[in-house]
Amino acid sequence: MFSEEELKQVEELKSHYPTNLSAVMGVLHMYQDKYGHISDEGITYVANLLEVPEENVLGVVTFYEMYHQHKTGKYKLQVCTNVSCMLRGSDMVLQTIKDKIGIGIGEMTDDGLFSVHEAECLGSCGTAPMMSVNKDYHENLTPETINELIDALKAKG
Amino acid sequence: MKQHTTRMTLTIDNKTVTADTGASILDVARQNGIDIPTLCWHEQLSPHGGCRMCIVEVEGLSHFPTACTTPAADGMIVRTHTAQIREMRAEILQLFLSEHTASCLVCDEQEECREYMSTVRKAGVTTGCRYCPKDGQCELQAVTESLGVRDIIYPIYYRGIPVETEDPFYDRDYNLCILCGRCVRMCQEVRLADVLAYKHRGRDAIIGPAFARTHLEAGCEFCGACVSVCPTGTLREKARAWEGAPDREEITTCTFCGVGCQVRLLVKEDRIIGSLPADDPTVNQGQLCVKGRFCNTELVNGHQRIRHPYRRENDIAWDVSWDAAFELIAEKLRSSAPERTGMLVSSNLTNEDLYVAQKFMRVVMKTHHIDSTARLFYGSGFSAYLTLMDRAVPLSAIRDASAVLMVGLDTRFSRSVVGVAIRTAMKRGIRMFTLHSREHTFSLNADVWLQPEVGEEYRYVEALVRLAAGEDVTDRSIPADMRVRLADVARALSESDSPVILVGAEFLQYDSSRAFLAAVAQLADHVGAGVLTLPAQNNLYGSLLSGSFPELLPGMRPTADAARLQKLESLWGTSLTGLTDAWNADHLLRDDCAMQFLYAVGALPPVHRGAAKFTVFQNMYPPEPYCSADLVLPTAAATETDGSFLNGERRVQRVRRAVAPPGIALPDWDILCRLARHMGAEGFAFTRPEEIREEMAQVIPGFGEAEIDARGILPLAFDAVMHVSGNGTAQRPPDSDHPFILHSSVVEHTHRGFPLAAWVEGSRILFPEGVLDISAEDARALGLRDGDSVHVSGASFEEIYPVRIVRQQPRGALHASILESALTHPNPQPVSVRKADV
Repeated sequence: MFSEEELKQVEELKSHYPTNLSAVMGVLHMYQDKYGHISDEGITYVANLLEVPEENVLGVVTFYEMYHQHKTGKYKLQVCTNVSCMLRGSDMVLQTIKDKIGIGIGEMTDDGLFSVHEAECLGSCGTAPMMSVNKDYHENLTPETINELIDALKAKG
Repeated sequence: MKQHTTRMTLTIDNKTVTADTGASILDVARQNGIDIPTLCWHEQLSPHGGCRMCIVEVEGLSHFPTACTTPAADGMIVRTHTAQIREMRAEILQLFLSEHTASCLVCDEQEECREYMSTVRKAGVTTGCRYCPKDGQCELQAVTESLGVRDIIYPIYYRGIPVETEDPFYDRDYNLCILCGRCVRMCQEVRLADVLAYKHRGRDAIIGPAFARTHLEAGCEFCGACVSVCPTGTLREKARAWEGAPDREEITTCTFCGVGCQVRLLVKEDRIIGSLPADDPTVNQGQLCVKGRFCNTELVNGHQRIRHPYRRENDIAWDVSWDAAFELIAEKLRSSAPERTGMLVSSNLTNEDLYVAQKFMRVVMKTHHIDSTARLFYGSGFSAYLTLMDRAVPLSAIRDASAVLMVGLDTRFSRSVVGVAIRTAMKRGIRMFTLHSREHTFSLNADVWLQPEVGEEYRYVEALVRLAAGEDVTDRSIPADMRVRLADVARALSESDSPVILVGAEFLQYDSSRAFLAAVAQLADHVGAGVLTLPAQNNLYGSLLSGSFPELLPGMRPTADAARLQKLESLWGTSLTGLTDAWNADHLLRDDCAMQFLYAVGALPPVHRGAAKFTVFQNMYPPEPYCSADLVLPTAAATETDGSFLNGERRVQRVRRAVAPPGIALPDWDILCRLARHMGAEGFAFTRPEEIREEMAQVIPGFGEAEIDARGILPLAFDAVMHVSGNGTAQRPPDSDHPFILHSSVVEHTHRGFPLAAWVEGSRILFPEGVLDISAEDARALGLRDGDSVHVSGASFEEIYPVRIVRQQPRGALHASILESALTHPNPQPVSVRKADV
């Protein structure tokens, strides 16, 4: 499922670590970047590629929030709900999104543009409440900035 | 190698203690009698630091490290039981308990519960509590009591996970799981099986195989090692769940294969309630396979066990006394000619049983007509197998090997301790090769998998022999990619300092087995490899040594050995000249075999053919209804008698009586001795197996305790020639009338002639007998579903089997697991298949 080029990248990743098990996370990221989420077939593929048990790869995928086992939207709205963000209004963030595009945690819009995810601490407590959209951080969120952001993303398509 | 260790001095709970460097705080504390509670720690596993029960205070550290993962250091000052630590432990324990459904641990009604226990209604019903099969043996319970936790301040969170009962032998209730990870570490670190892992996290975290697979689908070996280390009632043995704690334990030898694992039998009220691996350093090193771990208990406890001798005539059966049974046998024997009398024994019996059995036939019946069913198992390769077996290197050779070649060995459900040894060696970096026509435990993780067509295995070994001798492979029937692999394997074996070849029991029944085994011997000579055959019969060596074959006298000498005969004559005080030796077990498979008297000791006589006029059936379980048995005698199981076995390494192993036999059953040697005495024979006054062993030591060189070497292995040499049937007929290719190739294997999961599947429930799923494996594609083409009956017919062969659809089965090839007495057709053979009419 990986191209020649990507397989070279996997080899490069493997060379950083004493065991292949350590390269699992990096390779999973590569897989998710390519396919959007990590299906059961993806887990088996990565396990076979790195010659590690499927059980261990599945354990990693199901442990970390940033790996998705189901199809996600083009824009993944990952809302931090850990203590700092919760105190500073992550409930408001989720509610604003729900009002705007009608979906909550674990859901995706019918057009496949947005999906909402609950994220564990993203290390940006000083600018809470925050969320990441794919790999970009959006901080100090207010209902206005959230609406503007979603509108902008919709316009981008 | 001398290891450099230094001592260190530290203070634990105001006590000055010394220890070797490298020890953890927990190790040092326990060495000095200071108890620190633990849940996730286990002596067989790496420290995990997960349960946080062993937190301690170390002067100079601001946090509370876990004693199991923190190395002790010189000058360290440790406190293990301060008020603060006790409080923290109690707090953490409550978090465990808030997710653990065993409210009985902290139940207010605990006292009351005990009171109600003697009432007619179950205490649990009266007090309304839930009960756990691990009650009284639960480590969480013990820690809760030792920390004095009586209340849980947190709300109880019941996860409501359905109990998993779909797999054989053990159930899993993850509502009781505390995520200590012992089972995961056991599976990954010790067994190296990688079936279990953690999935999800936080309060959704759960243990199991990947995806929604059952353990069976995930490749679980059902060794039960995870069940043994589970501190709670999460993993529970189906057959033992509610038995409670055992009264005592007895160490004995497992009887299911030639590895000879040491097992700890758990005994309660004179009944076996479980079997666990003994911590034996030489053979199984604290591991077992599914048979030793789970099948033992069910096999010896079956309610269908025979309790009294009984007579059968015209489909009517009635109990008789031992005396009446002996009188009947004596009467029948007196009227039977020695050349028409035979005894069929199983190589599962002890050395003492077998020695007495052959002595009975030779001294009382004046015939060499005693044979083991092992002859039928090995068929035309019998002699070749025994010659190969005689080269046995100890099991420890695997641990010292630099390259291993497995031929026809699948360690999933049998000899799985050998599988663990191989995986451990692979982790050390040895090269591992496997030769097997079907997918098996090692097909994916071996360095090279040599996969011949069914029945072509010997060509591959012959090719290896030629390659090792520096010649080219000219055999064009081997595909090019396989020839490359063969060259790689031959090179690696030749270059290795200490290669080992392990021979399993697969494809030993193929018509090509003699060529195959001869090629293995040649290969071993060429590359200087040690060979270890792992016979399916636990006491195959013992049956050779005791002389339980028509060609062999005690001490593995040929019947024609005049010196040995003379020695036996003076020891036994009888003449042994002119005894007949024309019969062996193969004759039973012939239609013209007309015996007057057949005595089956722990063996199933073949059905439908070879019927003797009078058959005595001596076994643990009753014969199949269609088996012609005129007199049935109850015998003690291996857990109910004392004696000895010789495993595949020639190691002398003790069998110990743990419980009494059911009803008035007796050990085999005892029955035969009593019968001989009843018939007025001399030399059968044995009252204990030790006395039999003493006599054996007089005729069997090396059997005396003094001569066994330091490793416990007998110095023996086998140089007799055994009669074999068949001549290795060439395989016929499939044709349009017979488009499938059927290969048959004799089911090796047997005990005393019975397939384990007959008496052990879980084994029906894992290793069924009498089923036909077919590939999914072929099944679809024929419109077959799992369990459908099919009619299989070949040139001179017809049989009806239920089918099992097996993913690994190659297309166009069928595989049948059958009993040894059913193997009378060419193997492999072309056949046609059609769905049987219902």
